[in-house]
Amino acid sequence: MRLRVQYTAQLRAVAGRSEDELDLPEGSTLAEVLVHVATEVCRDAAGHLLTPGGGLQPSLLVAVNNRAISTREAGAVPVSAGDVVMLLPPIAGG
Amino acid sequence: MAHLPELTADDRGRFEWQLWVHGFGEDGQRRLKAATVFISRIGGVGGTVAMQLAAAGVGRLILAHAGDLRLDDLNRQSLMATSGIGKPRIESAISRLRDLNPHVSVEAIAENVDETNVERLVGRADVIVSAAPLFEERLQMNRAAVRRGVPLVDCAMYELEGRLTTIVPGRTPCLSCLSPERPPNWNREFPVFGAVAATVGSLAAMEVIKLVAGLGEPLTGRLLNFDLREMTFTTIAIARRTDCEVCGPRSAVGASGPRENR
Repeated sequence: MRLRVQYTAQLRAVAGRSEDELDLPEGSTLAEVLVHVATEVCRDAAGHLLTPGGGLQPSLLVAVNNRAISTREAGAVPVSAGDVVMLLPPIAGG
Repeated sequence: MAHLPELTADDRGRFEWQLWVHGFGEDGQRRLKAATVFISRIGGVGGTVAMQLAAAGVGRLILAHAGDLRLDDLNRQSLMATSGIGKPRIESAISRLRDLNPHVSVEAIAENVDETNVERLVGRADVIVSAAPLFEERLQMNRAAVRRGVPLVDCAMYELEGRLTTIVPGRTPCLSCLSPERPPNWNREFPVFGAVAATVGSLAAMEVIKLVAGLGEPLTGRLLNFDLREMTFTTIAIARRTDCEVCGPRSAVGASGPRENR
């Protein structure tokens, strides 16, 4: 199935683009999307998506179809074809 | 706000054009005049908030920002002036805000928020505006807002993007629900155009005006993310986390719940 992942803020800067289209197996979870991005699609983004131990970065905010989902729950959240996954690393520019 | 101050002839003249706003009127203006707003800090984002709130007639502004003005602040810190380089930022801020509206009470404190001063700094505020460049400061203000039951407008930017949400303790997610930990790779020095900082600052000022005056629908339970590179504005639904260490049911912060009549 195909879905889109969008990069914002520092992630967009390291990716050098605003989005990618992914092709993942049916039944993939949001956590699998994030690991796929960090390890296959945009390795420069790994530090924003994963902890040094390989877990999902707890400070990262993720939205699927404009609804925020905690990375703590991402392993239990299935994604669907056509979904838009927005990755929002925290920002504090003031 | 049981005892709203009366408007003077100067008030009616100065604010005439905003008194025409549907749903605002004299009652809204009097609510602004009675309000105290705390802003940390007053750089590109917070300085714009302060300027817009002074222009709109908020009665009392408490501003916190340590340090002296530098040349490289001036691409975005529009509350400052070139003549203020090398002098405390708060001096430029007070001068500029008094020129704009001498009737606003401005208390400027040359400190940045930390765990030792946060209660003292935010203690008298009806609304807190968080515009600090460090997550530690934002998380301290978030904890204080939840503890006191005071609304907090969190506004931030990076490069050509901005982000904004309005937190009402007890009703909406808090900042810790969204980002429970300090992110590992935030760089204190970030790319910024003043126009982007001023955009999110103006949006935040409007949120404060709406909260105080009871106008429109504040950005509660929602996070706005905008990207001026492509001119896209996205509103994301956000939810409280039941395991939030700050506002969740097992929190030790001691939330007092939302105050009424904001």
